[in-house]
Amino acid sequence: MDLTGLPLLTGVIFTPLIGALLIAFVPREREALTRWLALGTALVTFAISLLLLPGFDPAATGFQYVETADWIPAFGIQYKLGLDGISLVLVVLTTTLSWISILASFGPIKSRLKEFMISFLILEVGMIGVFLALDLFLFYIFWEVVLVPMYLIIGIWGGANRIYATLKFVLYTLIGSLLMLVAILAAAFSFQAATGSWAGAFDFEQLRGFGFDPTLQFLAFGAFFLAFAIKVPMFPFHTWLPDAHVEAPTAGSVILAGVLLKLGGYGFIRFCLPLFPQAAHEWAPLIIVLSLIAIIYGAIVAMVQPDLKKLVAYSSVSHMGFVTLGIFIFQPQGMQGAILQMVNHGIITGALFLCVGVIYERTHDRTIAKMGGLAAPTPVYAAIFGFFMLASLGLPGLGGFVGEFLVFLGTFDYSPIAAAIASIVVILGAAYLMWMYQRVVFGELSDFLKGLGHHLTDVTPQELVTLTPLIALTLAFGVAPGLILDLIQMPVGEVLARVGGPLTGAAP
Amino acid sequence: MPFFTEAPAEAVATTGSSLDQLLVIALLALPLAGFGLTALVGRRLGARAWIIAVPAIIVVWLAALYLIYQTLIVGAFGDAGMHFRLYEWIPAGDFHVDVNFAVDALTAVMLIVVTTVGMLVHVYSIGYMAHDPGRWRFFAYLNFFMFSMLLLVLADNFLLLFVAWELVGLSSYLLIGFWYRRRSAALAAKKAFIVNRVGDLGFGLGIMAIWTTVGSLDFGEVFTRLPGQLESGAIQPWMMIGICLLLFAGAMGKSAQFPLHVWLPDAMEGPTPVSALIHAATMVNAGVYLVARANPLFAQAPEALFIVAAVGIFTCILAASIALTQKDIKRVLAYSTLSQLGYMFAALGVGAFVPAIFHLVTHGFFKGLLFLGSGSVIHAVHDEQDMDRMGGLWRRIGITHATMLVGSLAIVGIPPLAGFFSKDEILGESFKLGFVWVWAIGIVVALMTAFYMFRLMGKTFYGPSNVDPHTEPRIHESPRSMTVPLILLAVPSALIGLALGLPPENGTIHHWLEPVFRPLDEALHHGAADYQILGIDGFLLGASVAVAAVGMIVAWRLFGFFRLGPRPALVSSVTGRLRGPYVFSLRKWYFDELNDLLFVRIGGVVARGLWWFDVHVIDGAVNGVASLTQGTGRGLRLVQTGRVQNYALGIAAGLLVVAVGYLIVAR
Repeated sequence: MDLTGLPLLTGVIFTPLIGALLIAFVPREREALTRWLALGTALVTFAISLLLLPGFDPAATGFQYVETADWIPAFGIQYKLGLDGISLVLVVLTTTLSWISILASFGPIKSRLKEFMISFLILEVGMIGVFLALDLFLFYIFWEVVLVPMYLIIGIWGGANRIYATLKFVLYTLIGSLLMLVAILAAAFSFQAATGSWAGAFDFEQLRGFGFDPTLQFLAFGAFFLAFAIKVPMFPFHTWLPDAHVEAPTAGSVILAGVLLKLGGYGFIRFCLPLFPQAAHEWAPLIIVLSLIAIIYGAIVAMVQPDLKKLVAYSSVSHMGFVTLGIFIFQPQGMQGAILQMVNHGIITGALFLCVGVIYERTHDRTIAKMGGLAAPTPVYAAIFGFFMLASLGLPGLGGFVGEFLVFLGTFDYSPIAAAIASIVVILGAAYLMWMYQRVVFGELSDFLKGLGHHLTDVTPQELVTLTPLIALTLAFGVAPGLILDLIQMPVGEVLARVGGPLTGAAP
Repeated sequence: MPFFTEAPAEAVATTGSSLDQLLVIALLALPLAGFGLTALVGRRLGARAWIIAVPAIIVVWLAALYLIYQTLIVGAFGDAGMHFRLYEWIPAGDFHVDVNFAVDALTAVMLIVVTTVGMLVHVYSIGYMAHDPGRWRFFAYLNFFMFSMLLLVLADNFLLLFVAWELVGLSSYLLIGFWYRRRSAALAAKKAFIVNRVGDLGFGLGIMAIWTTVGSLDFGEVFTRLPGQLESGAIQPWMMIGICLLLFAGAMGKSAQFPLHVWLPDAMEGPTPVSALIHAATMVNAGVYLVARANPLFAQAPEALFIVAAVGIFTCILAASIALTQKDIKRVLAYSTLSQLGYMFAALGVGAFVPAIFHLVTHGFFKGLLFLGSGSVIHAVHDEQDMDRMGGLWRRIGITHATMLVGSLAIVGIPPLAGFFSKDEILGESFKLGFVWVWAIGIVVALMTAFYMFRLMGKTFYGPSNVDPHTEPRIHESPRSMTVPLILLAVPSALIGLALGLPPENGTIHHWLEPVFRPLDEALHHGAADYQILGIDGFLLGASVAVAAVGMIVAWRLFGFFRLGPRPALVSSVTGRLRGPYVFSLRKWYFDELNDLLFVRIGGVVARGLWWFDVHVIDGAVNGVASLTQGTGRGLRLVQTGRVQNYALGIAAGLLVVAVGYLIVAR
């Protein structure tokens, strides 16, 4: 089948929008239809994203499947899409987690189902758009499109303290992104001033070779950095994350951890480094230090969390520290590891939130102290939860290990001491995850859980359908990480060539 | 960037016939399949949950025997052994790691222990676990362990070895925590994994250091490139020391050497077959194997070897001193294992690599036997592990007693049993290579070993019965599935020393392993002096047999031996007079208390403090900014519409002004 003529990227971005529009016309009481329509849309989007794989050439440089159309010609703003291996793996991650999250919401979402599904599908539009946009203005639009549905998902379907959490999430993210808009405009103005024309002033492929003035680079990098650092979230901009996770419904948490955090990491690689390479070198030492703090600090704070979701949220801070560390050591293994880590963190942490959701559905509680002894009444659940617990602590053979190891390796090449500091997390990670698992799954059944009686059932077939693909992917990427590494090899090389190789003046 | 040029992947030498390669893959695939199948359908198999797992391991054992025969007897693969690649695991630019396997003499020797003890423990478990409702899990985990352990000895590069290293750690975690309802079991499992991770941190950093300095992780390539790079100065001697110490950190974790020894005694929470297989005969040897495998690295870092010797011999006496007073039969054996592993590391450290591996083999058999025997004892007295509530069992469980006696005499080092040959080589070589202090401590430990083993035998089998009167009439010998493995383990425990160790220091095992340790021998330049039975060697031999005999006789007199009754009054007067050392030993040198203070209490305070910091300082700042804005907003109420969208617009407009202003100024 020849797919080259079709606008596949536009297709994968806007298919969820079509689904959302269709759902808008479904009568409110037809809940089953709404559900299946949403799931069907997400599955079609997933299928389209898979269609991108056969036609993709991992050995080619530059962007593939590029689509261009003028949008606001007066300012050179274009509707321009394209992908390389990095965007490709993140798009497929997004479409995978989206249908899983929608399926996982079938039970838990009981009120305003229609609005939920519409929000969710629009969220998917924004996320995929961010990964595919090659025009900075278009990128910014998609970036903000992500914000609104997430604001609603937490604010409407969230827990008791949802308004505080969602406002914090939105305002925090908005501050970052508006500064980024300023930086985008400043870059475009500067480009226009130099070339005398607006043509290409927002075109990423034009701008990345431009070579901005050092001061502008430094400031613009700072603005982009803030936007992306808040999204990742990097220490010390992370405090919105635990609140948002605790209040968000399960599907919201899955997407938040699985995809939204990756927008930040992707932004660093795609935009920050190629556009402002000099500034990247100036900022890198600070970012590396913040990443090291995040890795250790997140793990230590995770240790004492009383709430399962907060524990996983702080573990995300720790894990995402690897992503920023791997990116900013400007070293091939490090950056490949960072991208691999993004994908695997998305899968594994997404799955952990699904696992927490399974408990929450039955107990309406997430307090670790009230749990205990789940292994006996729910053995299948205990096994799956254990599997992802081990994946999260970086067990070799499962997804998390290779990405983490490559980041360690790259860091060691840059500074053995930094690598030694970061690697303390292999102890801390094992400690907080195994302690949590021990308190929830081992021991005698707790009185709280005994009180639930027959409501304490093992995973349902529907929950199994959401978790099994993630188990398969975690195994596959652990045993054959080449599936991803082969795709990202070339673009990582390109980014590093632009940013100028390993950090100079490396620390001891 | 690392200094190296990469050979193309196709250049990897592949040796061995396709049958041999197929057998290697079968060694891994069968236990893995057995794990998968048993995990999926085991629950439905009920009492016959072993029906997949045990036959799988018997086939593995047969396949391994063929490979061992090919490697060691026929010599089909030459000195270098057989190597082949399955696929490229991590392709990341100039860093790539294969899934590749090797079978050489060292691997073959390890396979002897791993598959033989593994197979016998599987068979033994049919009987031992017959009444446990979770037996399907047990057999699934046990097969998974075999897969991991076989991967560990077959891996042909450092990273794949590391994978297996962590996977055996996982199997150990799962099996220690097998009775997960028991809090102590869950805690012990977690402790084992985390303490191991401390060592693995070092191991992992060591692997990274090897790649950044040598530029490869394949054993063959690392070992061949190294001498040239050392000569050219690309690698400095201090780097070699660093790398070796980092690798040794990993070995200390897995082989439970001081100060990472604390997990092993607690690991006895697992079912006894697990203690025998994983925590005595196979997995805990992984550290010894790692150092032996990396001998071309250690050969270039004598300073690191010195530390290996020091840690080993210290662990050796530390553990033996604790074993003297423990009351739990399995704990005595656990500390004894620590102590014997200490001997092995001491041997490695002094440069006596073959004796270290020799002791690994003999210890694997006799300690596996002793643990399975203790399991049979525990089974007989209905899950009692306290030796104060045993005694007089030798008449009631004759086969168990006889086989354990063989194991005890073997570990104590009475000729001609297995332990005599290997331990004597370790002590003798230490002395002759100039490590007199290692020899001296080793001799003291030999005395302690003889004492604590026959204290164990006396309290368990001889002396008067202290068994619970309700249990007493129901004491029974174990079923045949348990006693047959005991007998089968007693045979090598008695004879393998004779088979492999004659003539001393030049026996079969030396001939097998000589090619593997050639780089080490060349670097350390110790030529083989002639063995003088009428000279120094005879003296050393006599000394170790004499102390063993003294230790045994003292223990017999205190704790009883057949008709020779025990003397409890004398024991209590001794412990009373030596109150301090006695309590210190009984409380295991207070290591658990120290760790609890350092990591649980102080660590907990730090973690809680940081969380407070997160909520009140970092998030406090965020919320502070928010309320400041809110306060200002109240003042500017007139411009406030109450819509988030308008605020956003306001912020956007303001920032636009700033941006435009900046551009004007910048011009």
